[in-house]
Amino acid sequence: MNDIADVQGNILRGYRKPYVRYLILEVADPGAARRWLAASVSGHGDGVPQITPYNWGKDKPDTCFNIGLTYEGLRALGTPSASLAMFPNEFIEGMTARALKLGDVGPSAPDNWPKPFDEPKRIHLIATIYADKKQQLDQVQERALAGGALKKLDTREGCSFEDDAVHFGYRDNIMQPRFEGIHDRERHDDGQPRAPLGTVLLGHKTNLEDLMWRVPQPAALGHNGTFNAFRVLKQDVVGFEDYLDQAASDLLKHKQVDDVLAPGAEAKIGEVLKLKGLTRHGALREVVAANLCGRWRDGTPLALSADTPDPKLVKEKFDYTGESRCPYGAHIRRCNPRGGQIVQRVANNSRRLVRRGVPYGPLYVRTQPRDPGKAEPERGLLGNFIGASLGAQFEAMSCDWLNLGLQDPRITESNDPITGSNDPSASWFDLPLKSGNTIRLRGLPRFVSTRGGAYTFLPSLSAIRFLGSLTT
Amino acid sequence: MPADEGLLDRIVNWLPTTLGFKRVASWILVPYWAHKTPVKPLPGGPHASFQHGDNVQCMMNLIMPLKVKSPIGRAEAALAIAQNKDAIYAGLNNVGTVHFARFVIVGDNICMFSVYDGDFTNYIRDFIATIGQVFNAVVSLVEGGDDVIPCEENVEAFIQWVHERDLYQVPDTPTDFLRDQEALNGDRAVSPVNDDLTLLPRKLVLQLRANPNVSLGSGYRAYPGYSAAQVRERLGLGW
Repeated sequence: MNDIADVQGNILRGYRKPYVRYLILEVADPGAARRWLAASVSGHGDGVPQITPYNWGKDKPDTCFNIGLTYEGLRALGTPSASLAMFPNEFIEGMTARALKLGDVGPSAPDNWPKPFDEPKRIHLIATIYADKKQQLDQVQERALAGGALKKLDTREGCSFEDDAVHFGYRDNIMQPRFEGIHDRERHDDGQPRAPLGTVLLGHKTNLEDLMWRVPQPAALGHNGTFNAFRVLKQDVVGFEDYLDQAASDLLKHKQVDDVLAPGAEAKIGEVLKLKGLTRHGALREVVAANLCGRWRDGTPLALSADTPDPKLVKEKFDYTGESRCPYGAHIRRCNPRGGQIVQRVANNSRRLVRRGVPYGPLYVRTQPRDPGKAEPERGLLGNFIGASLGAQFEAMSCDWLNLGLQDPRITESNDPITGSNDPSASWFDLPLKSGNTIRLRGLPRFVSTRGGAYTFLPSLSAIRFLGSLTT
Repeated sequence: MPADEGLLDRIVNWLPTTLGFKRVASWILVPYWAHKTPVKPLPGGPHASFQHGDNVQCMMNLIMPLKVKSPIGRAEAALAIAQNKDAIYAGLNNVGTVHFARFVIVGDNICMFSVYDGDFTNYIRDFIATIGQVFNAVVSLVEGGDDVIPCEENVEAFIQWVHERDLYQVPDTPTDFLRDQEALNGDRAVSPVNDDLTLLPRKLVLQLRANPNVSLGSGYRAYPGYSAAQVRERLGLGW
């Protein structure tokens, strides 16, 4: 069975709609909730919003609507216990129970999460509305909540910025895995092997030879489903920019500063990044930002152009083999080491994830004057990290690669410089130089903290019908 | 010992030290306690920690009872290891996070002891992906093993099966096992009763009834924790 039309639309394609709202819901009436699910795939668009499928026909819908169910949600809907037992442990336990693996410690610990994430067992269903216009979010929400089958616990909402920018100022949305057997509508060749469909859908071949993930039965429930780690990630934008200032000032005084930034290179960097009158200090800020991420803020990968950003380069196609100047500890290299040497040789390309995210909070404009007495508004990312095995992909990446740096002995015992749970007293990051030497940056604070999240199962349309037809 | 201890006190204190009393207690008293105060087995493996040093050189102590409890069964187990020796070495190399691994036969159990880096489930999964056939050969000789092989098609169940057979690691400060008991029972408030060391023997006895085999402590290192790849890199061995 390889019926991709049965898959929810947000898994294999991005909608590119600027407004996104997450409805965090509790099953109020199990029978009504099952009828709600059945109605959501009925094809009758006047009541419950219709689930957007992978194949939406000729015209892209004005709004899109998709759902994910937590383990507690599946239980509340009356899913048979034999089926529930077939879901993987990490999903059954839920995101809060996996906090240590995910680096959700200190300020990120679930005990500090605000409502509704402080009561994870009440979160049953997360519905996502994608829209071109903000008012459409309200319209779809109203339809989704009509009838009282589901109780709204809270919402989270984000809005895309121009040019696919995200907080911290990087261009995002450059890369997604390309899958075997799936027509690649928009993506350029990224130089990576196409991922087997089992990377993202249950019931298909995975990237690890001969390994298959368990498909919860009946097949109508599990097949073509997948899992999502939904994360509310607060970003300390001011702290990030302040750190760049500090690191640039330190580098300016460093005897090898010309190895970090060739004299005169600031003009080219300023031109490409559209930063008028960029000083040497300002250019060093950009060099540090580029190294922490592995991409310049315009998206140019350091693996292709380590000295200056280059708008003419294809931003997807590169690798970390040979003498790549992308730091071993850079964020994008940690998340996906591509074909580069890693300790766990069998794991190359096996922990890939589909990422769907939208920023929340207002755009930060560094040049705008700040009132030191006034608290900054919360900014961050509403992120979805989708894969057929949360344990083998999302958790494995988070635990061993982002937090422990186990994939390369040169970064072991350091955290991801951008998303890691860093403590300034112990954190470090090695910035590579042309000469092969490195300069160790220290004192990185925590830039990203978790403010909520949940593991959800993204059921196929058949699974939604199955759940909608349950009688208990 | 208080100086005013009477004869009866001395008898009560002396009685538990006698072999006869210990035997009677094991047959009657401990089952009675266990019936009155059920204790859940504590899960195996290293204690979860976010500290880097706690996530390298972790111990796995796997004890697997053989199906055939005789010299023939033990010989089959020894043969299974011998026949797969090359694959085991190749697996250790490719998984990259293993410091040491040993197979040991103790009584009618085949034991696998290893020291590894990182997350336990990633470690076992990578091993399945690398030398799943070796696991299949060994586990097919073990009680309950048929339910989880071939491991390549039962990845989640196999990892869980291994986890359940990995020994509980009593914390380095042994009384901390009380905290593990409370965590397992979902009791987040530390009971003052559990801090009373005069009650420790009963709790410890009951826990060791639920977890008959345990690792005492999580290993004592002669030097700070390094990953296998860090050791190889610093010795110039390549990684």
